[in-house]
Amino acid sequence: MQAPEQLTNFNTGQPATPESRLRIASQWVGELLSSTCAAAFIRRKSPTTTPTMPSSTATEVSIAEFAEVEAAEEIEVSGDARSLVDEMLSRGRYALLLRPQLIGNLSADQLAKARAALSEGMCLVPAGGVLVLHTTGIPETDEGAARPEISLWVDGYYLDRYQVTNAQMHQFVRHGGYEQMAIWDAEVLPAVLDFVDQTGHPGPRFWRNGRYPRGEDHYPVVGVCWYETAAYARWVGKRLPTDAEWVKAASWPVAIAGHPLLQRRYPWGEAVDRTRANLWGSGPGRTVPVDEFPGGVSVGGVQQLIGNVWEWTADPLTLDCDDDSGQIAGAHEMKSLRGGAFDTYLDCQATCHYQSGDDALARKHNIGFRCAISLCDFEKFGGAGESAAPVSDEPPHAETKP
Amino acid sequence: MNRGVAVELDSFRLADYGAQIPCLICERGNTLDAEVCRNCFAPMVLAHQAQSRQAAPLMIATLGPSGVGKTVYLGMLLDMLSRQPKELQMSARGGFSVTLQQITLAALAHCEFPNKTPSEPDRWNWVHCQLRSPRHRQPVELVMPDIAGEALFEEVDHPRSCQVIHSFLARCHGVMILIDGTKLQSGSLDEDYFAMKLMSHLSELGHDPKVPWNNRPMALIFSKADQCETCFEDPAGYAQRHAPGLFRVCQQRFRKHKFFAAGVAGACVKRRRPGEGEQSVPLRIEPRGIIEPFEWLIENIVG
Repeated sequence: MQAPEQLTNFNTGQPATPESRLRIASQWVGELLSSTCAAAFIRRKSPTTTPTMPSSTATEVSIAEFAEVEAAEEIEVSGDARSLVDEMLSRGRYALLLRPQLIGNLSADQLAKARAALSEGMCLVPAGGVLVLHTTGIPETDEGAARPEISLWVDGYYLDRYQVTNAQMHQFVRHGGYEQMAIWDAEVLPAVLDFVDQTGHPGPRFWRNGRYPRGEDHYPVVGVCWYETAAYARWVGKRLPTDAEWVKAASWPVAIAGHPLLQRRYPWGEAVDRTRANLWGSGPGRTVPVDEFPGGVSVGGVQQLIGNVWEWTADPLTLDCDDDSGQIAGAHEMKSLRGGAFDTYLDCQATCHYQSGDDALARKHNIGFRCAISLCDFEKFGGAGESAAPVSDEPPHAETKP
Repeated sequence: MNRGVAVELDSFRLADYGAQIPCLICERGNTLDAEVCRNCFAPMVLAHQAQSRQAAPLMIATLGPSGVGKTVYLGMLLDMLSRQPKELQMSARGGFSVTLQQITLAALAHCEFPNKTPSEPDRWNWVHCQLRSPRHRQPVELVMPDIAGEALFEEVDHPRSCQVIHSFLARCHGVMILIDGTKLQSGSLDEDYFAMKLMSHLSELGHDPKVPWNNRPMALIFSKADQCETCFEDPAGYAQRHAPGLFRVCQQRFRKHKFFAAGVAGACVKRRRPGEGEQSVPLRIEPRGIIEPFEWLIENIVG
């Protein structure tokens, strides 16, 4: 492979521009890291050798953009861009194709396919305010309790209609997601080698031989830590939703002038209804396919926000209870979880507002995720976002109420 | 002229008062209106309720050191059995029997663990309930106290110092022993010693020659297993690896025993507050392995 300073444009043979040089340099570093880590992974099979730590230059790579750059380069250099685009579509990476860096390379037919995949797989959540309550430690049934709440502005975004399934995660595993070190957070690189299944293959904890249990294609993937979900999201050109985004999609706030935001306690209304969600006592006592319990759909069309599996969000766990003095002790990083799972026992912990959390490295049987993508990633280039609902003109603000 | 007036002598009250009612736990006589036994401090309501039934209730003890999670385990178990729509079902006999599950679930809903059980026996929560199961034709009466860990080990160290524990253990039909799985995982030997002490104590209780203690079923439960998940995969293997002393005592002295793992909270964090020190916060309630040990125990007792 060419070193970055000697680069020429693959298509024209002319010296590369500074922008393309930067792109190719990123790819070069990425591939270098991948090969280093892959080598370390192979060496791990031998108990007498110590895995080599990947180079610290990984931190300098813009990991959030790596997947886009990689995809752009793949299409630019490919002689058969059509088949590559189809491949990306079949792997669920349609969000990457709709990014501004790539959308210009798509034919009308491909663009239509990518847009169809987007509208089939994701729901639009319009911009607006949302009240994020800190309920950890204060049940919502306590009428008199003072609950700290934060009023936040959320820009329009797309949220996955369903939780990420085993079949979707399998695409990531099969196509080397665990070996592409550049899509992983730098701080977790030493731990990636330990993200293996029951048989020692890279993949979610409860799989075997790099495969999920037979017949569970449409079950939510579980046994994945926060970092694995973040890496998957990058690979498909998405990201994890923030806490505020998740709450907004679930509680669907309505702003009426002069009144506080009207938010739902559950996606379907105010009262708990165990026939609409897979919770303790209402389901089979394990995960179910992501399209079951259709009665629990949110106003925006998002399924199973409550129940089945907890969902990682991008934010850290906050433990603001009845005063500001509550601090989490301990060394591990805790990330926020939302929505409840099939074994959530208390009704008050399976609401749109309840925040739980876990160690960012925890790979548990009842924690999964879904992905999001900002509307602005599409709309400024007139791509998929052009059919989006109008975004409110209200200026973004953040306000904390006691 | 005086007219005769019939005055009720209320002698039946005296007769009632004179008749001694034996305590269900220690069998010492108590007066009709006694709230707790004057000897062992067990609630007399258990004796009154038991009188209305022909068969004596089953007694099951939940044992373990202070802080191991006995109250949480029992409260959760009772709540799950009373909400479960099928299989083993529980219905409380008397309002006092609901108190334990009520205080436990109220605390957990506040993301807190319930307060420590006081050492004084008259302040413990007792449960008297009926169990129904498709496997058994008749409902089973059951009595279970929430015994304080400190009082239990006082009795273990100084036998007969706590009459209610001594009497209850002598009469009970099976035990659930809780062992802190997280402490074992961290390498602490205390849990192993506690459990060995307790089991040695039980094996020396020889009140009933027909049913010696080594024939009574014993469920050994690793509590807080949500924080050491390998417990769930193979509890007996976990015992062998982390509590070898306990494992050996079980093999040698108790014929009917089985290891289990149980967890109530899905995740916990420590919250630090000025002046209060560290406090454990259960972040969500996801009971796992709660009913299985109890079911096994009932199966082994009732058949």
